[in-house]
Amino acid sequence: MGWEEKQVRGYGEFAETAQRCHGRPIFALFCGDKDAMGRSWCPDCVTAEPIVRKELHNMPDGSVFIYCLVGDRAYWKDPNNEFRKNLKLTGVPTLLKYGTPQKLVEEECFKAELVRMLFTED
Amino acid sequence: QEAAKYDKKVMVLDFVTPTPLGTSWGLGGTCVNVGCIPKKLMHQAALLGQALQDARKFGWQFTEEVKHNWMTMTEAVQNYIGSLNWGYRVALREKKVTYENAYGEFVGPHTVKATNKRGIEKLYTAKRFLIATGERPRYLGIPGDKEYCISSDDLFSLPYCPGKTLVVGASYVALECAGFLAGLGLDVTVMVRSILLRGFDQDIANKIGEYMEEHGISFIKQFVPIKVEQIEEGTPGRLKVTAQSTVGNEIIEGEYNTVLLAIGRDACTRKIGLDKVGVKINEKTGKIPVNDEEQTNVPYIYAVGDVLQDKLELTPVAIQAGRLLVRRLYGGATSKCDYVNVPTTVFTPLEYGACGYSEERAVEEFGEENIEVYHSYFWPLEWTVPSRDNNKCYAKIICNIKDNERVIGFHVLGPNAGEVTQGFAAAIRCGITKEQLDDTIGIHPVCAEV
Repeated sequence: MGWEEKQVRGYGEFAETAQRCHGRPIFALFCGDKDAMGRSWCPDCVTAEPIVRKELHNMPDGSVFIYCLVGDRAYWKDPNNEFRKNLKLTGVPTLLKYGTPQKLVEEECFKAELVRMLFTED
Repeated sequence: QEAAKYDKKVMVLDFVTPTPLGTSWGLGGTCVNVGCIPKKLMHQAALLGQALQDARKFGWQFTEEVKHNWMTMTEAVQNYIGSLNWGYRVALREKKVTYENAYGEFVGPHTVKATNKRGIEKLYTAKRFLIATGERPRYLGIPGDKEYCISSDDLFSLPYCPGKTLVVGASYVALECAGFLAGLGLDVTVMVRSILLRGFDQDIANKIGEYMEEHGISFIKQFVPIKVEQIEEGTPGRLKVTAQSTVGNEIIEGEYNTVLLAIGRDACTRKIGLDKVGVKINEKTGKIPVNDEEQTNVPYIYAVGDVLQDKLELTPVAIQAGRLLVRRLYGGATSKCDYVNVPTTVFTPLEYGACGYSEERAVEEFGEENIEVYHSYFWPLEWTVPSRDNNKCYAKIICNIKDNERVIGFHVLGPNAGEVTQGFAAAIRCGITKEQLDDTIGIHPVCAEV
């Protein structure tokens, strides 16, 4: 059956998508917005994304991978933004298993081993 | 993690055998999952309940009655524990420590067999082994105990409010649990076979018991349960407990929603194949005797933590012993773990912090005429306005007259006892005398100035 990817932008779209996929394992990668040339304002996100994508095949069957752009730099820096408030995100990139305390933050996302562990652990 | 720092190849085998009721948990051991961490959080929940009552006297106005939701608290606690379990997984990976969620047992010299939860077995060999398997709660061995009673292993993740609870036991586990359950508004009874807090200063143990009784916890003293039956299934259900007196023939019965057993913990040493490698254990208690370098009678097998014979069962002690052991083995260090003057705290409703000798032990070791005890009751300033008890908080120090009145025992009964005790433990380690203590100017207004 494999896995599928959903791309969303902003908290509203993320929450709606996560709810629609309720019951399936949901993994989410949060990154800063990309400009017209496809580069993110967040340099760590640029580094992490290919590493995470290489490990996606390790996710359990039926998983949903939500790739979420959080917003521009100013929005992210606001301490009251919805991602900080509702998902308790502290930095980008963040890779997490939705509904569990399991997550990898910033440089932790650069380590293929840890990413693999997040996708395959129970 | 310490051994990995020295570039050693390290593997951790951690496996939780589920409780009779099926409860299990993640990486981190007892403290993180079913001990200190959830205990302190639930104790805090109970303290906050008390604080809400006090708040009205300080001018806060809220008209609704305040109620407690067990599920909200438990989910929050378990979520935090989950983040700790995950944090350890990440830490081990980052330090290149191999982790297997599998049950380890020795099958021959330098060899262990690891069985995971699907029953798959693997064999591993190593140059050295460290046993840190800890303990699990003991059951009574009476009809109905495993089917209907819960232990601390189950309590912190119980998916329903325990309701009217009977706590069996008088250990600090029993009293701490009884304390916070009552603080959350539940009807709690404690059934005690003989004395409270065996091994602790009895003068203080009695004060703790009195305080709990005066604050709504019933005690049934000198009885032991002989039978537990189910009247009605449910979450929680209804249980009937029959108990017999230890000083006569009297039999009593009581009905409760939950029976929590906290009568002691047994070392997990009987089913890990120690006989196959010749590690001696104390047959009666299951504990492992070690020398002062944490080495068992088999030179390549070491042990730390609650499994050790005659050592304090405390998380920080085990951690320290483990770290120092590795530094001695691979870092050329020589320092050994110091098991003396280790501070502890019991988080009963009235908290108790201690470091050093109890009064009884001091008398036994030095003789009554050679020790001097200084003590005082105190009334925390924060308790005055809400009219809370003015004669319950208490502090005492025990001094060795022959050694310059050196402080050899410190005991405090009152709020934040743990925080207060930590500093004094450092002072005792430096050999503080009564005179030096007197010369130290107090911070005012805090409890610690007494």
